[in-house]
Amino acid sequence: MGHIASFLQWLEQTQFSTFLRESTLGEPIVESIHVLTLTLFLGFAMLLDLRLLGLCLTRRRMSEVLAQFNPYLMVGFTIMILTGTLLFVSDPVTFYPNTFLRIKMVMLIFAGLNVLVFNTTIGRKVDEWDQAPQTPRGAKVAAIVSLVLWAAIVACGRAIAYTVPPPS
Amino acid sequence: MAILLYHFCHWALNSYVGHGVRDSVWLFPAIEICHLLGLGILGGCILLLNFRLLGWRFTGGPVSELAQDVQPLMIGSVIVMLVSGFFLFASEAVKMYGNIAFRYKMVSLALAILFTFTIYRKVTMSDDTELSWLWKWTVVVLSFVLWAGVGVAGRAIGYV
Repeated sequence: MGHIASFLQWLEQTQFSTFLRESTLGEPIVESIHVLTLTLFLGFAMLLDLRLLGLCLTRRRMSEVLAQFNPYLMVGFTIMILTGTLLFVSDPVTFYPNTFLRIKMVMLIFAGLNVLVFNTTIGRKVDEWDQAPQTPRGAKVAAIVSLVLWAAIVACGRAIAYTVPPPS
Repeated sequence: MAILLYHFCHWALNSYVGHGVRDSVWLFPAIEICHLLGLGILGGCILLLNFRLLGWRFTGGPVSELAQDVQPLMIGSVIVMLVSGFFLFASEAVKMYGNIAFRYKMVSLALAILFTFTIYRKVTMSDDTELSWLWKWTVVVLSFVLWAGVGVAGRAIGYV
């Protein structure tokens, strides 16, 4: 723990972290980008999940939906990670011990694993069920896991704001 | 007009909903989470339709097909956002009356909804091969500016 604590303290004292923390507009702008990019990232991820459940965009082939969403999901995810990291860097000593931040990070890893499992199993065989009226059970399970995880990740994100002590 | 709005805010604050949300520790954040999930779906649908109108995504079929497919989600998420938004507003309605960002948000919201369910709906439900690029871009930019206005003003409520 000693190494981590000294790293966090070093990070907090960097010019960049100090600038983010003390500037009037830095934190609101970064946080607003983080929240409003939910439209691009979370929105597209949930639309994809709903397609996997057979609840929307059913007139489009699954492989088309996956291919069409993918690049934008990548862009959205990159923006979320970048702005999220900036928020952390602005006040690392405060954020690091926060329980909800830790739960959020663990669930992010699970969400990533879910995508990995999907891509290597049922998603790899998408050509076999591309136009099927009913998506296979594995696809539905992946979609529900994803929806639950992302909702919980949003909930943790909100909870972080409520449990971090106000700046002194 | 102003006095009517002020009375409305007072009524909302003292309503069952206003009291309930204000008196609970966890209701406000829980409703905020619903508001954010609604934001994801609504924003996602609008971005998707805009990208399709510009010919960037889902060009394998007409705009109208995509618009019909996402319409239930759009209407559903607008309802979720309006209801959850009203609950959040009611818990601090009189404070919101004086909040300049909240006022901007409401004006932008009214315009965005009006635009989305009239001109925007007509354009996305029509045969897009007959639309000029200038008209498509105008509609896309207008919808983006109006909805982004709602989002940015919403973010600003906590800071002003």
